[in-house]
Amino acid sequence: MGWKDAIEGKPGDLVLLNGNEAIARGAYEAGVRYASSYPGSPSSEITETLSRVPASDLYAEWSVNEIVSLEGATAASFAGLRAMCTMKADGLNVAFDFLTSMNLGGCKGGLVLTVADDPQGHSSVKEYDSRYLAKSAMVPVLEPSTVKEAREMAIKAFDISEQIKGPVLLRSVTRVSHSRGLVRLGALAQERKKAEFPVGQRFLTKTLFHMKARDRLIQAAIIFEECKFNYTEGPDRADTVIFCCGTSLLYAREAINILGLQGKIKLVKIGTTFPLPERFILSNLQGVKNVIFAEEIRSFIEEGVMLIYARHNIGNIRFYGKISGDISGVRGPFCGEMNPDIIIKAIARVKRIQYEAPGYSPETIVEFSTMLPPREYAMCPGCPHRASFWAVKTAIAVDSRDCIVAGDIGCYCLGAWDTGYNLFDSLHCMGAGPGIASGLSKLEKFGLKRPTLTIVGDSTFYHAVIPGLINGRYSGSDFLCIVLDNSVTAMTGHQPHPGSGISNHGRSTTAIPIEEIVRGLGIPCAITDPFENDKTAETISSTLREPGVKVLILRRECALVAARKHQHKKQRVYVDQSLCRGESCGCGRFCTSVWGCPGNIWDPVAGKAVIDEAVCAGCGVCATLCPAGAIIAEEVDK
Amino acid sequence: MENCELEYGAAARLKEGVLDPDLCSGCGACVGFCPYIKSYNERVAIIHNCQICDGVCYRICPRGFTQYTSLRREVFGAVDFDPVLGVNKEIYFARAGEEEMRSCGQYGGVVTALSAFALKDGFIDSILMTGGNLKGTKPVLVSSTSGVAKCAGSKYTAAPTLSLFQEAIKNGYQKIGVVGRPCQVTASRKMQQAPEINGQRISLVIGLFCMGAFSPELYTLVKEKGLENCDRMDIPKDVLFSSSGEDTIIPYDEMRQFIRNACLSCYDPLSELADVSVGSTEYDPGWNALIIRTTKGAALVEQACANGYIEINPYPSELLPLLKRAVFRKKKRVLGRVDFTYLNLPAPEREYFLSTGDDD
Amino acid sequence: MKDPINMVITGVGGQGNILVSEILAKAASVEGFRVTVGESYGMSQRGGSVSSHIRLSRNCLYGPIIPAGHVDIIVGFEPVEAARIALELGSPNVKIIVNPRPVFPVHVLMGKCEYPPIEDLLDKIKGITAQTLIIESTVLAAQVGDPVVQNIIMVGALAGSGYMPIPRETFEEIITRVVPQKALELNQKAFKIGFETAQNINRS
Repeated sequence: MGWKDAIEGKPGDLVLLNGNEAIARGAYEAGVRYASSYPGSPSSEITETLSRVPASDLYAEWSVNEIVSLEGATAASFAGLRAMCTMKADGLNVAFDFLTSMNLGGCKGGLVLTVADDPQGHSSVKEYDSRYLAKSAMVPVLEPSTVKEAREMAIKAFDISEQIKGPVLLRSVTRVSHSRGLVRLGALAQERKKAEFPVGQRFLTKTLFHMKARDRLIQAAIIFEECKFNYTEGPDRADTVIFCCGTSLLYAREAINILGLQGKIKLVKIGTTFPLPERFILSNLQGVKNVIFAEEIRSFIEEGVMLIYARHNIGNIRFYGKISGDISGVRGPFCGEMNPDIIIKAIARVKRIQYEAPGYSPETIVEFSTMLPPREYAMCPGCPHRASFWAVKTAIAVDSRDCIVAGDIGCYCLGAWDTGYNLFDSLHCMGAGPGIASGLSKLEKFGLKRPTLTIVGDSTFYHAVIPGLINGRYSGSDFLCIVLDNSVTAMTGHQPHPGSGISNHGRSTTAIPIEEIVRGLGIPCAITDPFENDKTAETISSTLREPGVKVLILRRECALVAARKHQHKKQRVYVDQSLCRGESCGCGRFCTSVWGCPGNIWDPVAGKAVIDEAVCAGCGVCATLCPAGAIIAEEVDK
Repeated sequence: MENCELEYGAAARLKEGVLDPDLCSGCGACVGFCPYIKSYNERVAIIHNCQICDGVCYRICPRGFTQYTSLRREVFGAVDFDPVLGVNKEIYFARAGEEEMRSCGQYGGVVTALSAFALKDGFIDSILMTGGNLKGTKPVLVSSTSGVAKCAGSKYTAAPTLSLFQEAIKNGYQKIGVVGRPCQVTASRKMQQAPEINGQRISLVIGLFCMGAFSPELYTLVKEKGLENCDRMDIPKDVLFSSSGEDTIIPYDEMRQFIRNACLSCYDPLSELADVSVGSTEYDPGWNALIIRTTKGAALVEQACANGYIEINPYPSELLPLLKRAVFRKKKRVLGRVDFTYLNLPAPEREYFLSTGDDD
Repeated sequence: MKDPINMVITGVGGQGNILVSEILAKAASVEGFRVTVGESYGMSQRGGSVSSHIRLSRNCLYGPIIPAGHVDIIVGFEPVEAARIALELGSPNVKIIVNPRPVFPVHVLMGKCEYPPIEDLLDKIKGITAQTLIIESTVLAAQVGDPVVQNIIMVGALAGSGYMPIPRETFEEIITRVVPQKALELNQKAFKIGFETAQNINRS
């Protein structure tokens, strides 16, 4: 929605953008020519937005994974162009091997690596602090506090990258990427650099080249000392200061206001997180008694500042942060995201003042909140994964050898919980499933008799599954790899992947079908439609008994994509309550208490099932599974 | 319906009492009505524990707890009981009236002939049978005599034939016949007591003699030995596969490992609760042994004879002791097994086998 | 007028939260407010709770999370979600506009937990708020012709409630800008019905 303003807005316009759109706008203004990414919340809108830039100005790519993505962007930098590579924090691990090598030799055109961390794990399996990886890789880090600053930092990051001839990491977090604010747009870069790779220009990595990276960090530290992204707010001198970065700046500001401590506490805002601006920090530690740290995920600035303190003779300071346990949410320190209340609590403790938030008595809260049912994630109405999971559950039950299921990452990670029938026995990172399945299958001679199965997604297949399959076949493992192919990278907002035949923003390209890759590896591969549930379950059941590595593709378009494409339901689904067995034997509320589709709801008055037609996607799978034939799916003409 | 405490509903009992100890005979009775029970490759499993207390699944299971005496009374009324052969009115040598039916059926083709006649004459409007070949079997719902012919010939694995019963109900059939193994005959009788599944629509039960069914691994062996295209299999003593007159024999000892565990604890080799039981004569491959058990069975046989569908001869008196001895030994063996707990037999009957020697 | 004005739009994934927060933020910015919207849409799958924190101030820029007890207005597309936000961030001063139509969580459908009787729930909400406006936006949306515009009816209700210092015309202008042409008439109609419904509610 905001992409239009971000790309088509005129210089001087004040527009509402989210943090990711602002970063994209900044990159666009800075003259970025190459934008690549593997999608991952909360980073995806950056490349989504840049994909809308006219193709004559920019090459945008949804890459197959993060390392390939970074390599491509770096190539553009080698040719002197500005490039941005974007990923979520977990993706940085995938790109890390290349990042740590490339950063030794350095690059040429401005290269900005934008990494979006996800404190609280709103859409991730882990809270991951990318700043520590940047430190290991010796890559400088910028960290915006607001949507407005996200744009400014994106622009500046290119400049710094070119100054130091190495990559710069721009660290966003969910509350920046997914916040919206007003942004004044600037002019687009006029210069149109030509891509050049002069004969004799070489980018090599060699032993001890890390001294080059070290020298670049020294250079960055000098730049950062004078950088406008570091500043203070409040009184010049105060016995209590808060070091903050990211959105914690805003939380701290509000906390001071709420406690009525304006003019009594100084805010030290750090925008250049690594390397820390030592002189700037030192100047703000002089004469201070209490230092509070407010930052997302781990204690990066806290550790850095305490180290600076330890190396200088600055008098007595008490530090209040995650390490001391004073910066702590409901789950304790180092867990969950920052918010104003955490900082209010810390300041109140330091200043020894009482603060009670306006609100309700604990009794009111307890009494009322016990009335409120939790709302778990559920697969969408019409989601093919639900049908796939039911087929897998059926096949495993019938197989009766207690098959172990190694899961993987995507929408289908719900297979680990209730709404996915608690199928997964393991769930880790993208591509972990086949490796774990392969390893388990090798343990038979040591007594493990349970067969193994892994469930991966289509985008995950291209991203990280192929090596696991090759390894499995090479090592003679026995496992079944089920690929849930819903035609897109669904979880992150329906980006295309190599099987789609579409590159970014709808441009058509060569499709690389999963089955061709699998068969090319000499691995048997079958394809079924999970909506033909019985057939799918039988196929899984029989394939599970075959020796060696096997692949089974369960192919059915994501319900949300299908809904967008077709605009109307293909079928009207309803319940003939005269046939419905309800709670009786031979059903026991299959559709409403077991199947778990939000479209199947219970009519307590009749004691029968009913379809919530406002929610139902019209897939009709429940009609094929209803034991009494009471659910009816009718074709709709439209 | 009341849910059970401690999650110990019918499904849990079926799982713990029948499936987990590998006592499931694969009859298919529990499959088809319930969304949580499936059967693939002749293996039945519970997908989800529904916690319904007195569920049909356990109640109709032939390996679930069975009050044998009362079940017999339901089928036969108060009659004298033969502990070895079961209730029987007459025992015959029988064969199909038409040569064609004899040649496609097993031995004398009596099952095929009786089924066809029962359909044609309106005894039943449909019948559950087992189709397939040496590549695999499948349950078939038949409503025409030509369909019956396609199912001719014995199958030696445990097809879940009864799983199609609900299919027959959905199709509106009112008088449904069953051709089944002894376990399926027992299940059919238990199903008749379950109005919620419309079990009373089972109208005719033709039972087969069965000394045990093979597991589906049989098909793997058959394939490995290149016998999957044979048109007939038989177990006169060793196991015989014939293909257009050419026979391959595999010693029974090699095949023994494939017998389903559940069959080792089966007390009923002759389908004692059937309307009629049909099997091998163990003597003349051109004829079947036919035991008439109920009045309905007697009527069917009488009319089938009258219409030329089958012909019958008296069972040779010198052969009867051989049949009795085989059954006696099987029953006595089963009574000694620790996993034989599902049938509640009257004490005198149990005593009869335990106190009588093999050669009596 | 209080500054900042803190508002939460809450509902269930798929109910159109994001469009509503966009309309409100844009309308506020036209009126000269500094705006921050903090959005949490988790895995963006349907069925999960979704909420947007909207913060308006004439003085300074506020953060994307409202401190506990400081929310002024809650617009709830779903009653349990509205109650959840009220308990988390509200105070006896909070005003709530709520669509009383439940969207049952999957665990409720599965019989693992219970959804409270709707009347009890609404009474409880009324008991902890300064004012509660119940807007049958799902029902009204169906009357307008498409259940999807439930969210725009709630925008209309918010505009009609007088809780925000933003004139009706500004909302209408923004709706014209953000809604696709082919759906404009429907959305305008939805806004109007929402507006009038809120204006005509008897506020005791």
